[in-house]
Amino acid sequence: MKISLSWLNDYVDLNGIATDEISRAITFLGLEVEAVINTGAPQFNNVVVGRILTRDKHPNADKLSLCTVDVGPAGGVKTIVCGAPNCDAGNLVPVALPGAILPGNFEIKQSKIRGQSSDGMMCSSKELALEGGDHAGLMILATPATETPPALGTPINDILPPGDIVFDIEVTPNRPDCLSHIGIARELSAWFKKPLRYPEIKYDPGNTRAPFAAFAARPDLLESIRVDAPEMCPLYTATVITGIKIGPSPEWMQRRLLAAGMRPISNIVDISNYVMLEYGQPTHAFDAKKIGGHKLIIRPANEGEKIITLDEKERALSSRMLVIADAEKPLVIAGVMGGENSGIDDTTTDIILEAASFARSLIRWTSRRLGLSSDSSYRYERGVDPHMLDEATRRAISLILELCGGQVAGATHKAGGDVPWQREVQVTASFVNERVGFEIPVAEQRAALEALELRITREDKNAPGGPAWTVAIPSWRNDLDRPIDLVEEVLRVYGTEKIPPAPVLAPTIIGNDAPIVLFNREVSAYLVGQGFNECVNYTLRSKREVETWVSQAAGAELALLNPFTEDQSHLRPTLVLGLLETLKLNQSRGVPASRLFETGRVFIERDGQNFECVSVSFIIAENDLDRAWLKREPADFYTTKRLVETLAGIGGIDIARQPVKAPGGAFFGWQEGQSAIIGDIAHGWTARLGLINLAMVRSLGIEGKVYGGTLSILSERVKTVSDRRRYQPITMHPAALRDIALVVDEKLPAGDAQKTLAKHARATLPKTFALEAANIFDVYQGKGLPEGKKSLAFSLVYRAPDRTLTDDEVNTAFAKLQEILAKETDWQIRK
Amino acid sequence: MQDQLKALLDKARTELSATKIRADFEAAKARYVGPNGSLTAFMKQMGSLPKEQKPIVGKLINEAKTTLTGLLENALRAIESNELAAQLGPEIDPTLPSPDALAGTYHPLTLVREEMCRILAKAGFNVVEGPEVETEFYCFDALNTPADHPARNEQDTFYFPAATRFGNVSRKVADEKYLLRTHTSSVQIRTMLKGPPPIRIVSPGRVYRRDTTDATHSANFHQLECLYVDKNVTVRDLKALLDYIFASLLGKDTKTRFRPHYFGYTEPSFEVDLSARHLPKVNKEWIEIGGCGMVDPTVFDAVGYDSSVWTGYAFGMGLERLAMLLYGIDDIRYFYQNDLRFLRQFA
Repeated sequence: MKISLSWLNDYVDLNGIATDEISRAITFLGLEVEAVINTGAPQFNNVVVGRILTRDKHPNADKLSLCTVDVGPAGGVKTIVCGAPNCDAGNLVPVALPGAILPGNFEIKQSKIRGQSSDGMMCSSKELALEGGDHAGLMILATPATETPPALGTPINDILPPGDIVFDIEVTPNRPDCLSHIGIARELSAWFKKPLRYPEIKYDPGNTRAPFAAFAARPDLLESIRVDAPEMCPLYTATVITGIKIGPSPEWMQRRLLAAGMRPISNIVDISNYVMLEYGQPTHAFDAKKIGGHKLIIRPANEGEKIITLDEKERALSSRMLVIADAEKPLVIAGVMGGENSGIDDTTTDIILEAASFARSLIRWTSRRLGLSSDSSYRYERGVDPHMLDEATRRAISLILELCGGQVAGATHKAGGDVPWQREVQVTASFVNERVGFEIPVAEQRAALEALELRITREDKNAPGGPAWTVAIPSWRNDLDRPIDLVEEVLRVYGTEKIPPAPVLAPTIIGNDAPIVLFNREVSAYLVGQGFNECVNYTLRSKREVETWVSQAAGAELALLNPFTEDQSHLRPTLVLGLLETLKLNQSRGVPASRLFETGRVFIERDGQNFECVSVSFIIAENDLDRAWLKREPADFYTTKRLVETLAGIGGIDIARQPVKAPGGAFFGWQEGQSAIIGDIAHGWTARLGLINLAMVRSLGIEGKVYGGTLSILSERVKTVSDRRRYQPITMHPAALRDIALVVDEKLPAGDAQKTLAKHARATLPKTFALEAANIFDVYQGKGLPEGKKSLAFSLVYRAPDRTLTDDEVNTAFAKLQEILAKETDWQIRK
Repeated sequence: MQDQLKALLDKARTELSATKIRADFEAAKARYVGPNGSLTAFMKQMGSLPKEQKPIVGKLINEAKTTLTGLLENALRAIESNELAAQLGPEIDPTLPSPDALAGTYHPLTLVREEMCRILAKAGFNVVEGPEVETEFYCFDALNTPADHPARNEQDTFYFPAATRFGNVSRKVADEKYLLRTHTSSVQIRTMLKGPPPIRIVSPGRVYRRDTTDATHSANFHQLECLYVDKNVTVRDLKALLDYIFASLLGKDTKTRFRPHYFGYTEPSFEVDLSARHLPKVNKEWIEIGGCGMVDPTVFDAVGYDSSVWTGYAFGMGLERLAMLLYGIDDIRYFYQNDLRFLRQFA
């Protein structure tokens, strides 16, 4: 909200305090100063008052005039070329002489314009950057008719209206009392230790002296008021004022309204706004003759009821909203905006002045529902103090009587009563000190409270931790109701800049970083070590992506209720989407990018439920852009397998022991026959790896093959390996190796063959030595083998822990193995 | 005899110097010192010589043998050296660049987050994580943010349809709405509900606001939040922590200041400004960097801590904002574009 300094000075004397100091005070009181604006004219040099003596047509230009201008002691008579239509002889105007610098860093120089020399420039109000300035013509300071024109040669700043300082302040939601000049003045009076002065209110219903007295009631204008929803409108008042004269409000009031960002309209409307900016209490004036049936009824709107608001828009209302209506029609959307049909116009003579208290939730809901916010709704939804209503109303009436004439007709109509207000909070000086952690002297504490009008109603000097205070909370400080709230008030006024420095006290609380943190750290370190670049992509993706890359079901379940944009409507099911986008961006910018990874949360749909998972994904792109003079072996499926196995290992998952599924069917996003799936989120984790679907990658506009891998673990199942490892003895005795090549069906996964072979090999061993490994060292298919078969060659590693094996015992075991294979499998042993 | 030996050595010298490969060498060696070699033949003749000639001839033969052995060794060394040279391939050009991948890089947001966590670890803070999909209780209710608070409406917060279920995000209240957390403060609540004080945690993580993406706003961003709960925790302790954090991060001359502010979950509340003119692109004396305050008693009530016994502070800040300040980055979107020319600058 915009707060005028000259206005503030009415309530607290801030003369002699630098603007910066005031700005700093507001800031440290807890209100953010977003801008400080000086509304006055800039300080000019060489811009003076001059009188136009003669005006002739410029000999070489139709639209220009050639004038002589007397600037008095500032340089006598000057010749000036002027383009303004109103440079008539006799007018007094601002004259910028050579050397003057006008706004926009425009320096005035002696010059020649179309062959005529010009000694300066006569100025419009806009050229002087005056508030509300225009460019229609010269700024006329006086005409020949003006009785006391300013002296010629007077520096222009001496006769321009003085400027005002305006603070644009952001008020936090807990402080609706600061949405007013008095509220801000109260804070500043506490900070600068200067008294707060309330406005003088001349109208009082008990007063008998005209004009500030109440005259006879006028039931012919307003007979009665009625509130049908007292819980939404606990207090409503209406005062009839007759015989007023509509006209412009006085200049001082207009200036203040302009400074506060409001457009002056007419005296009555301006007074209503002025009092709102002064007290924070909205009021509204009806033209009495427009009130049908002479009744005001505060009632819920009828569903679908229509009203044209002051902004000339038709609004359809809901029955959860409240309207102020007459006997026939709604006049005002309560607390939000008045209607066109009942407002003040130039012919108004009798008015009804409304002041009311509305429930915050009602106004907030109404304003949001209608998408209609006003200065009034802004204040009501934050909270307007009902206990200031009477004072603010009397202030408005006083101003009306003073500035618009007229008289009050009868007592103010009132529906509902004052909500009782009494609140006391107990606090001790030592409680304040304990919470802030340093000593604020008792006298300073007391002074801070009292300066904010938090009256100490009882003081017990001898109480433990004393003195103990009972503090009366004023009605406008609904935000204060606990001792800790008063700690903040004391600290605010005392000054947060005085919090003394201190060492960090950190009594030990022993604990570990969470497993997810450790997991992310370790996988990132591993992948960075493997030459991957870490990326960070948005969580939200489009429905189309989720459906195309995962499933229809995921597209249904991962949707947000209220997405902000269509392309960010779903939770990401995999980090790979973001990485591909990153790849695409880099490719399109001609930036070589190949190895990318990301860690973060993903969301996996499974049987109609979503699961939040911790995930790590990487991609490896073939990169034509990255043309190297020496070619390296490209990545392939098995590159991704090692990476995924290692990542899983970091998460405590021994992926090598898990069945690998060759994906088929609805395995979107990954290339059939070139990728694999391991694990299942239903069992806590899942991994996918291999070649990313070529066609889909191509459809994204990405060049080349992209390999990738992704591991997702239910967030509650993430653990890192922390068990102390046990040392396994290593033997010094050599291994015995036997090679065997098996001809098997080409569809048989090598991993299955390996498992079966190892199982049989172990079964044929005596207890005295062991099979250490059955390593695949060759895979062959083609010439020399039957159609549909492949050869898998294994190296069997036998070892005894305590001795060197003899050929005989190994040969025996190896021969037995071959017998069993012949019997138990349909494999051929390749000789 | 002497002449014959000399001729033999001369021949050997010529032959061996022409021998380049190991097989030729072995053949040559056999021709001289093998069982049928020419020098071996001289030695065999020794037995048939008269007794008085034996020392003289023996000496001659020995001398010849020593010389020949030397010749053989030289020849072998030359061949071995050739063999090694053959393994080496052509000479390299050391000025050519390596075609291998450059070192990997951490994202700047990770670097800043980890640095903050290290600084806070020294003050005893443990890093915790919480779900990004949250419920109204953890994100708002327990943090003293009433149902009609503007931050909770659908203009500002992402919600999920009522029928959507998250199998592993627990709800406190049956049927409360799921949403994307708007701050990491929800992790405070989950942590406090898990066990009694004292607690000292830092929770970094991703948060969501329903907002337009521009140079300073992004649909999701990252926060880092600290919570300390113990007996007799004071405002001064909070200020001390922030002074320590920013002096560690930005240097000893960095100053912080507290501006009173309002947050529903702390009382008193402050916004934190820091003064660090040495940072790139900083042209103001004070820059706002985060919010903090003393944990509001209502928050303790919500998690079942006795607010007459326990006190605490909380501090939160945006990681993007901090990274932008530290590195002089002027557009938040760079963090999410992942242009490699950007990412590689922070390695």
